[in-house]
Amino acid sequence: MANKSVWSDNRFWARSAAWISGFASVLLIWLTFDTSVQISMGTDSDLKNGVTKRVPAPTVINYKITYEMSAKRGHEVPIIGGNDGKGMSLFQEKEKFFGKDDWSEKEAAEMLHLGKLASQTKNCMNCHTLLGNGAYYAPDLTKAWLDPAWSSTGALQPMTGKTTKEEAMAEFLQHPSKYPTHARMMPNLGITEKEARGLVAFLKHMSSIDTNGFPRNFGKMQGAVNGK
Amino acid sequence: MASKLLDNPFTGVGSESRQLATWYFTFAAILFGAQLLFGLVIAIQYVSPGFLFEIIDFSVARMLHINALVVWMVFAMFGSVYWLLPDETGIETVGIKIGKLLYWVFVVAIVIVVLVYLFIQVGPADEMSIWFIHEGREYIEAPRWADLGIVVVALGFVANLFMTGIKGKQTGIITVLMANMIAFAGLYLAGMFFTDNISVDQYWWWWVIHLWVEATWEVFVGALAAYGLIQMIGASRKVVEMWLWIEVAMLFGSGILGLGHHYFWIGTPEYWWEIGALFSALEPLPLVAMFIHVMYDWGKQQGKKSLDGTGESVVNNQPAFLWFWMNAFGNFLGAGVWGFFHTLPQVNLYTHGTQFTSAHGHLSFFGAYATILIGMMYLAIQGKNKIKVMKNTKSSLWALGLTVGGVVGMTIALTISGYVQVLVSRAQMGATWSGYFDGQASVWFAQGMDWRLIMGVVTFAGFIFLIKDFLTTGQNPVHQK
Amino acid sequence: MVDPSVIRPEIALNDFLPIFVSSSLVLVFGGLYVGIFTAVKVGLLKKWAMPFAYMFWVITSYCLYIMGSLMHVGEFTAKALVVAMIGYLLLPHAVYYMQDQVHEENEH
Repeated sequence: MANKSVWSDNRFWARSAAWISGFASVLLIWLTFDTSVQISMGTDSDLKNGVTKRVPAPTVINYKITYEMSAKRGHEVPIIGGNDGKGMSLFQEKEKFFGKDDWSEKEAAEMLHLGKLASQTKNCMNCHTLLGNGAYYAPDLTKAWLDPAWSSTGALQPMTGKTTKEEAMAEFLQHPSKYPTHARMMPNLGITEKEARGLVAFLKHMSSIDTNGFPRNFGKMQGAVNGK
Repeated sequence: MASKLLDNPFTGVGSESRQLATWYFTFAAILFGAQLLFGLVIAIQYVSPGFLFEIIDFSVARMLHINALVVWMVFAMFGSVYWLLPDETGIETVGIKIGKLLYWVFVVAIVIVVLVYLFIQVGPADEMSIWFIHEGREYIEAPRWADLGIVVVALGFVANLFMTGIKGKQTGIITVLMANMIAFAGLYLAGMFFTDNISVDQYWWWWVIHLWVEATWEVFVGALAAYGLIQMIGASRKVVEMWLWIEVAMLFGSGILGLGHHYFWIGTPEYWWEIGALFSALEPLPLVAMFIHVMYDWGKQQGKKSLDGTGESVVNNQPAFLWFWMNAFGNFLGAGVWGFFHTLPQVNLYTHGTQFTSAHGHLSFFGAYATILIGMMYLAIQGKNKIKVMKNTKSSLWALGLTVGGVVGMTIALTISGYVQVLVSRAQMGATWSGYFDGQASVWFAQGMDWRLIMGVVTFAGFIFLIKDFLTTGQNPVHQK
Repeated sequence: MVDPSVIRPEIALNDFLPIFVSSSLVLVFGGLYVGIFTAVKVGLLKKWAMPFAYMFWVITSYCLYIMGSLMHVGEFTAKALVVAMIGYLLLPHAVYYMQDQVHEENEH
């Protein structure tokens, strides 16, 4: 027992485990501080002053949002209020959302709050994926706001008899079984008109989040699928 | 060895801690059955979407499927700790009366939550629904009142563990468990608040989910494996515990920052690509190591026995040992292989949110956790029935063969479906509404779903054999009493 | 900080399957390498099996190479992968040495 090597000493390994775990935890906490700042929600003045945030203010619903290739970053990024030609947002071009493009900071925040609450209480995540997380029984909602199917030329908007994207989405959410889009239908979840508007605001806001290029090639190709 | 334990008044059948463990195991087995049943419901809905439509919708059944999963495992984990505490510390668990009271609190809370999930299902978009119906956040849907209840129960459990560990003999296994369970319980707090910012929401949500299943739960499994090897094949405590510390270092060293692989696409900064890729590539290493360790100890012990010339098996509980082996293997395969091939950001960009994740989820939860917890249940049956050497029975082998075969079959089916989804819905159509349904319409995808259902039924058949064996094996004359 | 090539070159449609297969095989063969190594060392397998262990290490490295090149990993990552494979070659030796030390010191 006299020539015990350090490698076979349990105390050595116990201490190593503690140090390694501690170091990893400290690093994680440090990164969490940095990330928390970067993913905190922006403000209305950020949008007005052209400050790009990873998660913009709720008033982003007043702007036109697109998802375009950024040569600099090598993947698609959400573009808010027009593209400056270099893959950065201009924060200029507005877009009417339920008839208005001047929702105040308070109104927009309330709508988003209601929408986020509805997304949880209606259990969206146990059929759909949000930011790619959730269940796989129904389409991903990360960029649902930008989905060509909901555009004026898409299949879903005319089906609801509405003339704008947001109204069509809200109508569908309130009466999903009236619009059977697929054998796999969305059930009626008792969503009220107000909740539906909140949910659409939530979806529009989510589509403006910078997800590092996820999903890739969104809406780039329609129809033609390589026969696999 | 077994007989020595039975003579000890604290660790014998009279031990209240062990009695409480059997309660925990029993309720865990019931919830395991519920998990499989609701899994079958959603598997049928994939094949035939009209099934129970607007009665028990997919979202409801899936919530029950994954919640029953989490809760039965937590129950079996608590049970395992109450089972091994007297063995390790040499004393009766401190505060066992409170432990028993908390058990009933926990059971009643779970039953109420399940009934509300089933019969109320959804509520209006307000805080009341979050407090009393569910929170709608995958895996940790439990309403806020139940969250608080779980915190109380978990604190009571941790207190039992700490007081017993401090008063009795504090072995390496107990030390690891004490540190680990504090983290396990504490992490739950990260998943209890509401925020309008979905990126922040998912950031903390992953703290709970990932740091449970890829860090603290894995360390828990390491501790159980250590205990099991000492109990079942008489492995040397010194070696086993040294190895446990190395595993803790490897698991936490890779697993804590491996969290980064969930932060590729939820709005978080790009540096998580590198962090997530690096550490999640390291994550399989401890799983390989755990596998090797079981082989090493078994080889050493069996080798010693062979030198004695008797050549008989060193294993005193065959079914438990088989399940522990399945754990070593399943952990590596499910968490390791099935996790690794879609973890790097270059590929995860296309696989994130497809049936690949589901395939990985099925095999890793089963391989890494269900197996070893079933093994612990067999150890409890052995102890409860004072069996010296427990043998395999026909039912125990059927149970093992069918559940393992069923889960592996489901995993392969889901992997094929996921592959179709990656090619059609993701790489080509970019995750749009029509891309999604084009992928789902593929013949390969649909067949994958058919096979998943068939294999789900096979798994359930295995579960029936398992329960039959649990209920009858104690009286089976094949065992050496 | 981020090399744009990390995500930029899109993965060709026909490369997905080889990527999935090779990355799974990295772990399978990697597991076989350390598995056979340990089994020979503790006497569960005969000595002649040892070359197979090292052969599996070579196959593991090859699979990792395929995976890396199909995914178009950057230069830095490529170097990191080489270091990782060398580390993996040494790992079971170190682990076995330590385990055996403990055994020797405690049981003899």
